[in-house]
Amino acid sequence: MTDRELFARLKILIVDDSAEMRNVLAALLESMGVGAILSAASGEKGLELFCSEAPDLIITDGSMRPMDGYELTRRVRNGECPNGNGDCHDRDVPVLMISGHVGPEMVRLARDNGVTDYIGKPIMAATLYERVLAAVSKPIHIVETKAYRGPSPRRRLVPHMSIDPLSE
Amino acid sequence: MNDAQTPDVPARFLRLPSVAERKLGPDFTAPVRLDPRVLDQMQDTIRELTVKYSENLKVQVGSLFSFIEPTAAGDAEARNQLYSTAHEIRGLAGTFGYPTVGRFAHSLCAYLENYKSVVSTVMRFHVEAMYDALQGRGADDILASDTLASLDRLIALSHDGERSAG
Repeated sequence: MTDRELFARLKILIVDDSAEMRNVLAALLESMGVGAILSAASGEKGLELFCSEAPDLIITDGSMRPMDGYELTRRVRNGECPNGNGDCHDRDVPVLMISGHVGPEMVRLARDNGVTDYIGKPIMAATLYERVLAAVSKPIHIVETKAYRGPSPRRRLVPHMSIDPLSE
Repeated sequence: MNDAQTPDVPARFLRLPSVAERKLGPDFTAPVRLDPRVLDQMQDTIRELTVKYSENLKVQVGSLFSFIEPTAAGDAEARNQLYSTAHEIRGLAGTFGYPTVGRFAHSLCAYLENYKSVVSTVMRFHVEAMYDALQGRGADDILASDTLASLDRLIALSHDGERSAG
């Protein structure tokens, strides 16, 4: 089984308010051989598509308005479908966040909301490929408490940078 | 045992099969290295998109100049436009071979995020640095780092004694 054969069976949802970024990500995923690519321009639309299409992976931007990628992830983890029937497909779906904010505070926020992996901008082909492959090929480890279900909020989440982190 | 008798377990740890295991069966083993053919295909895609992106980036950087004065005067819409354009540049310039332009865009975004009241000189210097880097001037890493340090000093001087909003 090659990576391409695996990718051909994937359905990936891109959520980003930048049309340009959505197009670039979609083109890169297409060149990886991903079988189905969905895209949404907002967190709200992303949540709707997640509930109706049951993607295998979500790739989301962090900063969006009014619903950002952090809230989107939290709602996915909580099984909050906009149709209100509580019948969300897979609330443990891997979520990759791509963000220009690579400071510890935002990375911690992503982790606490249930983001699986964090990629710093600018995105590079090899980093995207590597993180998508890791997200879909590694077993999913979930912590469940009364108030939270998702990847361990105590784990150390480090942004994957294609270049050295930018000084802020 | 009903709920009242259930011991209060603080956390449950679950190991769920990967997406690949679910689709391809439990015998799936994760590849140990990236497939160079897939990477080549992705690089080809980036090369194809670069020409169009380069043209678009010139337009984007040029458009930033027009938002500077209204933003400094407190025009919220201009500020939103300035930020969202710089944010787009930050996200993609590096992908298409303009990492220095992306670094200056990142610095401009951070400035707009951290200060409620912003100064036109600081914004103009950022945009001019982006413009120069786009023309190939000042795109060298060391020079770019020096320029960023200068911009930081300019911000500190312009906002002497003022706390950042961030």
